[in-house]
Amino acid sequence: MENGNHHTATGPRSDDRIKLNVGGKLFETTLSTIQAGGPDSLLAALSSRTSDDPDPVFIDRDPEIFSVILSLLRSDGLPSTARRFAKQELADEALYYGIESQLKSAMLPPPLSGIDASIVTTVQPASDGLPSAITAGTDGSVWIAHGGQISSYDWNLCHAGTIRTHLEDINSICRVYPEIAAVGSESDPGLHFYDFSGVRNMGSIHWTDPADPRIFKARVTSISNSPSSVFAAFDCPHRENCILVIDKSTLKIVGELSRQSGSSAKNLAVGKLTWLPETGLIVGSSVTCGAFGYSGYIRMWDPRSKEVVWETNEPGSGRSSRFGDSFADVDVDIEESTLFKVCSKSGDLAIADLRNLGDDPWVYLQDKDPSMRNIKGGGNSSSVIHCYKNQAFVGRDGALEVWSRLPRAENRVDRESEVCEGLYRRNFVDKEEDAQRGIIKKIEGGGNRLFVVREDVEGIEVWESSRSSGAVSVL
Amino acid sequence: MLKTMAPSALPRNGFKQNHKPESNIATIDVGGQLFQTTKQTLTLAGPDSLLSKISDSASAHLPPPFVDRDPELFSMLLSLLRTGNLPSKAKSLDLQDLIFESQFYGIETLLINSLSNPSHFDAFNLEKSLTLPLNGRDSPSVIATTPFGSVHVAHGSKITSFDWSLRKKSTILTEFTAVDSMLAISTKLAAVGATDFSGLQIIDLENGSVRETLNWENVTRSGSTVQAIGSSQEFLFSSFESGRRNSNSIMIYDLNTLTPVNEIGHYEIFGAEINSALPATKLKWVPGYNLLMASGSHRGPSGVCGNIKFWDTRSGNVVWEIQEKVDCFSDVTVSDDLSAMFKIGVNSGEMFYADLRSLGVEQPWVCLGDKRKMVSGKKEGVGCRIESHGSQVFCSKGGDLELWSEVAVGSKKRSEGGSEARHFRKNVMGRMKDMGGSRITNLTFGGNKMFMTRKDQQYVEVWQNSARGY
Repeated sequence: MENGNHHTATGPRSDDRIKLNVGGKLFETTLSTIQAGGPDSLLAALSSRTSDDPDPVFIDRDPEIFSVILSLLRSDGLPSTARRFAKQELADEALYYGIESQLKSAMLPPPLSGIDASIVTTVQPASDGLPSAITAGTDGSVWIAHGGQISSYDWNLCHAGTIRTHLEDINSICRVYPEIAAVGSESDPGLHFYDFSGVRNMGSIHWTDPADPRIFKARVTSISNSPSSVFAAFDCPHRENCILVIDKSTLKIVGELSRQSGSSAKNLAVGKLTWLPETGLIVGSSVTCGAFGYSGYIRMWDPRSKEVVWETNEPGSGRSSRFGDSFADVDVDIEESTLFKVCSKSGDLAIADLRNLGDDPWVYLQDKDPSMRNIKGGGNSSSVIHCYKNQAFVGRDGALEVWSRLPRAENRVDRESEVCEGLYRRNFVDKEEDAQRGIIKKIEGGGNRLFVVREDVEGIEVWESSRSSGAVSVL
Repeated sequence: MLKTMAPSALPRNGFKQNHKPESNIATIDVGGQLFQTTKQTLTLAGPDSLLSKISDSASAHLPPPFVDRDPELFSMLLSLLRTGNLPSKAKSLDLQDLIFESQFYGIETLLINSLSNPSHFDAFNLEKSLTLPLNGRDSPSVIATTPFGSVHVAHGSKITSFDWSLRKKSTILTEFTAVDSMLAISTKLAAVGATDFSGLQIIDLENGSVRETLNWENVTRSGSTVQAIGSSQEFLFSSFESGRRNSNSIMIYDLNTLTPVNEIGHYEIFGAEINSALPATKLKWVPGYNLLMASGSHRGPSGVCGNIKFWDTRSGNVVWEIQEKVDCFSDVTVSDDLSAMFKIGVNSGEMFYADLRSLGVEQPWVCLGDKRKMVSGKKEGVGCRIESHGSQVFCSKGGDLELWSEVAVGSKKRSEGGSEARHFRKNVMGRMKDMGGSRITNLTFGGNKMFMTRKDQQYVEVWQNSARGY
């Protein structure tokens, strides 16, 4: 079939009108509107028909829902009448007409802005609902690991399926392909691949070394993913640990990084792994909390040379005034190439430019608002940090806050690329009563949604930004 | 001239052209509103339905046929015909209206298929959704379901039947003081028996009349009580025990004519050897193996002992028999899909499985839990119920329900060897708020739903899928 958009003297013109009879109701629209669904959509296939056909094309579908679909094609947005239909119904109908991508872009939330987000829903699996690990897709879908099961929720947050893995407890999960999850557990050895479409275990990776008997029952502590490889940190009962590089197409081990042993904080297994697409490096961090506070390391490896490119250990490096205030959690803002840490004692946030790391790269962000000062101050609070969409989301016990970049002043071009203390501003995302629901254990961003897991709370919270005011009538 | 689209370019869609004289489009006037659809869509309603008659009579030259019904309800049923699902706006209506309307058009089966289809059962997505209250003070003793989700509940001497939509019920009175076993032959007919009343009654649940009473003629000429009922596609099985409790047998009847076909497993007890002939208290047909599983147990001073037998119903021979002396089953079931038999140990309270593909091995049971518990001797498994449905096994422990599923590990080739251990994993069903509660006494499945009853609770609990629940 020819390209639907091309213009010839005899062919259809995009401003030509077309009549459709959907389930007995007449619709009239222009060819350009029904071509808006893309060349592969069923509606665009109609545009090849000439307009001198006296009879309208008949489509045996529900006319009411078609009027929503047509409005979507005309305006790229959903009319208010769409609220009468279930999300799943609209998705089914869009699939029929072949315009699912248009519906997705109209229904997915606007860009997530932490300073203006609210909780929209809670996604709750039907059984064993305490999430142990989650992973979010770029389309806003989410996979929840709970009680040895993995439940998949699609971009609509509709339940798409649940599989039972052989693990009793899944502590790390990574989506290596659209339908394949890599999972690891702190109670069972090995990295395991599960296929959602076939509902089966596709294979397992175990870290073994015939030359070293201390390497056995290696459990996975964290997983990261690049287009070609999977990186998984393994930890043995006697504290030997390493990062294995696994080829994604063959699911075979192709390399081993950073093997270490011993039980000091410097030698513990990596608890958080991130692959940096810009440089191809991987960042790993490890934190332990003991009687004398937090300690840990952040390291950066080049998987090609298997060398450590940069590392910092805390406590022990950096400025002396910050000694004893080591980090509680670390995350990488991939877009901005910035490393974020949240300090265990002061609760301060510090950033480091990944392109310009040194002995003490940290810039401690200033908190301008005195009312936001950490009231607790002590090192008792549990902190998690997650970077998403150039914002850093921090969970402190039950409270969810966001650090957002200030807009750059136009007259300060000279300092544009430089990180400074006043670059980010801190705000609460939640209300005080939200913080009562439980300690935040994990934050994940995906598809302009923020997923929040709380301790001993079933299901995960979904936070989104919205353009609708949500005005409440009090009449 | 217009260009005709290649049929291959438009698979499975409804685009049709109505310029031809033999037009495919059917127009119907329902309550003053015009609907258009294709004749193919209308034929989906089935040959006997009103809609396919309309489709046959419709012609481009005649005015559209008029149906004096509500157009809004019709639009929903038309969506059901087109997509197989009811539109979401149907949720604002009472389902009963739609059922009446679908009966008028003769497409109730389509509605049942869409709302209560057994293939839509998703064990991982079940949540507690409804309770069906029972009037009076008796708590349910036994429940029975049909494949599309009607449920019959025996409580005291009454049987209450709920239709597939669980919106309507009717109650009849029986001759029994309490019903102990019941099997739904159809939505209107049930086989009912009790351990203290002679004879298996086939009861019409619409008017409460006993259509037939089936008796086993035992040697002692005493009454014959019913211990268990089971069925296959063609046969009805009933386990009888004589009134003097010294002989028992399994009778096989034709499910349609209810005439006796065969008698298997006739045992007589002489003296005090009770264990030599335990009556079967659970009968389960295993279609994949063409065998009938019959299990029975006895609680004596030395503990619980029992046996599980697999019968070839044609020849009347036992194909496989397991004597249970140590950690006897508290309940046992067979899963055809998993080719395995499952039991709960009465002492250990643990789940065991036995692979049906390796029948006859010395020690068939494989413990799926902590084996060490077996020595504790506590009766942890007492009162547990176990049922299989699809490729999952459901096991009640007190008030909680466990879901056991098999994890497929490794490549397909390896599992064909059949010798290596299989992986079954459990999850506790329901949310935190559903946990606990009284002990589960009955557990059955019908349509896309799971039904359970609890001790001393005068209602039936219904669990169904969270997504498309009506």
